[in-house]
Amino acid sequence: MAEKPIQEEKRVFMTGNEVVAWAAVAAGADIMYGYPITPQNEIMHYWTRLAPKHGKKFLQTEDELSAGFTTLGGALAGRKSFSATAGPGTTLFQEPLSMAEMMRIPVVVIVQQRGGPSTATVIYSQQEVNMVTFGGNGEGWRVVYSTATHQELFDYTIKAFNTAWKYRFPTFILGDGYQAKMREPLVMYNPEDRGIEMIKPVASLGLPGTPGKDRDAVHLRNTYSVEEELYDATMPIQEDYEKMSKEVVEWDERNVDDADIIIISHGVVSRAAIAAMNRLREKGVKVGYFRPITLRPFPDEQLQKVAAKCSNFLLVESALGQLARLVKSALFNMPIDNFDTLYKPGVGVTAEELVQRIEKTIK
Amino acid sequence: MRYLEAYVGEYASGKSENAINRALSLIDQGQQVSLIDLDLVEPFYTLRPLKKELEALGLEVVAWETRETMGLGEAGSILKPEMRWVLKRPGHVIIDVGYGVSGSDIFNLLEGFEESQLKILAVLNIARPMTSDTEEIIHYLEGFIRVDGLINNSHLGADTDLDIIRQGSDIVTEVSRRLGIPVVATTVDERFRGIMGEKDHHGNPVRYLKRYMERAFW
Repeated sequence: MAEKPIQEEKRVFMTGNEVVAWAAVAAGADIMYGYPITPQNEIMHYWTRLAPKHGKKFLQTEDELSAGFTTLGGALAGRKSFSATAGPGTTLFQEPLSMAEMMRIPVVVIVQQRGGPSTATVIYSQQEVNMVTFGGNGEGWRVVYSTATHQELFDYTIKAFNTAWKYRFPTFILGDGYQAKMREPLVMYNPEDRGIEMIKPVASLGLPGTPGKDRDAVHLRNTYSVEEELYDATMPIQEDYEKMSKEVVEWDERNVDDADIIIISHGVVSRAAIAAMNRLREKGVKVGYFRPITLRPFPDEQLQKVAAKCSNFLLVESALGQLARLVKSALFNMPIDNFDTLYKPGVGVTAEELVQRIEKTIK
Repeated sequence: MRYLEAYVGEYASGKSENAINRALSLIDQGQQVSLIDLDLVEPFYTLRPLKKELEALGLEVVAWETRETMGLGEAGSILKPEMRWVLKRPGHVIIDVGYGVSGSDIFNLLEGFEESQLKILAVLNIARPMTSDTEEIIHYLEGFIRVDGLINNSHLGADTDLDIIRQGSDIVTEVSRRLGIPVVATTVDERFRGIMGEKDHHGNPVRYLKRYMERAFW
């Protein structure tokens, strides 16, 4: 068996897609199933370079439906499996992921968002929020980490494997075309060296012994033919999901206590939001910042607490209100002073335009 | 003297930045230079946003433009026909070779490659995991048809310091010694001008880079 994937903690300079491949190796992933699609291709390219050196496997399937189902198969066989996709690939992943929600199969999928609808642009957007949070049939029992930096891509990809295997809900890393392709430094490490214990995968199928004699039969179900049966099956899962939510929900808030206006954003756009906040603070404008890191489950209570202090919001995203839908749902029934939005589907957001926008609003 | 140079290396090693700066340094000497964006993996992106700017500086840039690629698919892999003949162009020819699984085989697509004096220069950044030490770099270079020169471009983006440049020079110089391939240069961001001088501590020439790729997509 191969040696430790990362010899010692060190600073490196890479593209985001490469970071994900390394993080998956560091997290102890066994196999990647995938089908090529821009802008996630280099996750596959890089994984296939790393895999033979570290005793890992790769299977290219005929499409994303198959990539999704084989990823589930890997998990059922007791392998830490994962996949990566984008855009129309994420659309095709919905069916296998709905199955994973119902059957409680731990899978990790990295989504590098690209523009939509349909095949459209391949470069960047934040238009896959709807799909990763609530895209399947059912109730959206997923965990979605929206990252903003290469360091987070590394940290949260490792975390995603533990979340998936601990709670047994499909877990997403939500990046985007910019994060996939841009380069910046980060620190890579073996999770064990930092005291992070990686959960060992266990097989659900192919267990030793004779069913009915040595052990109970394994009966994994995805289909419930009677309405009441479905109800009885889903309610405990919802309970588990709610219980888990308190443990996995993550967010970032800065300068909210004395804020006159708060920028809400997620993912890579948060970098512009933080830069704008810092520049405006230097000019004496009291700007705060709120960022959900888990888009699902959403930090509802945390945002409500912030809104109780200041509810003059500027929400900004590279989509037409996909984050806004989640935010409005969290703020339902709260008194809100102002809810300004800047929607730029498929287009990046700069700190400069946020500064300008806020300076105009404040005056 | 006519320079024919191809810059190869990992993602984010600094291939494009090195190629652009090299081409522009020859332009500054009043010479004719073609810059070729030879990328078959995602050929429509690398130099695309910079093409007009570089042409305005006097470079002849052989790269796709967005409007020429209508209908060729999302990231379509197609060689721009004139790229096949670039080694026959007058003046200096500087080729930015895109990363690819078979990135080194790409030279077979160039008419006259065998008999040409094209120098293949490997751009190396020790802050990249698969080229971070001597053994890894030697293994990595074995994947190429041949390598005629090494460039130490070790950096950490905005976090670059003298340490990483020096360590890079140590490692790349050692590779050079073991493989008998010369170190063409240590390349560093312009902000180190005045600190580094003309040679690094191993005596490799230092070339200063102005950053252009920050404005490109990738």
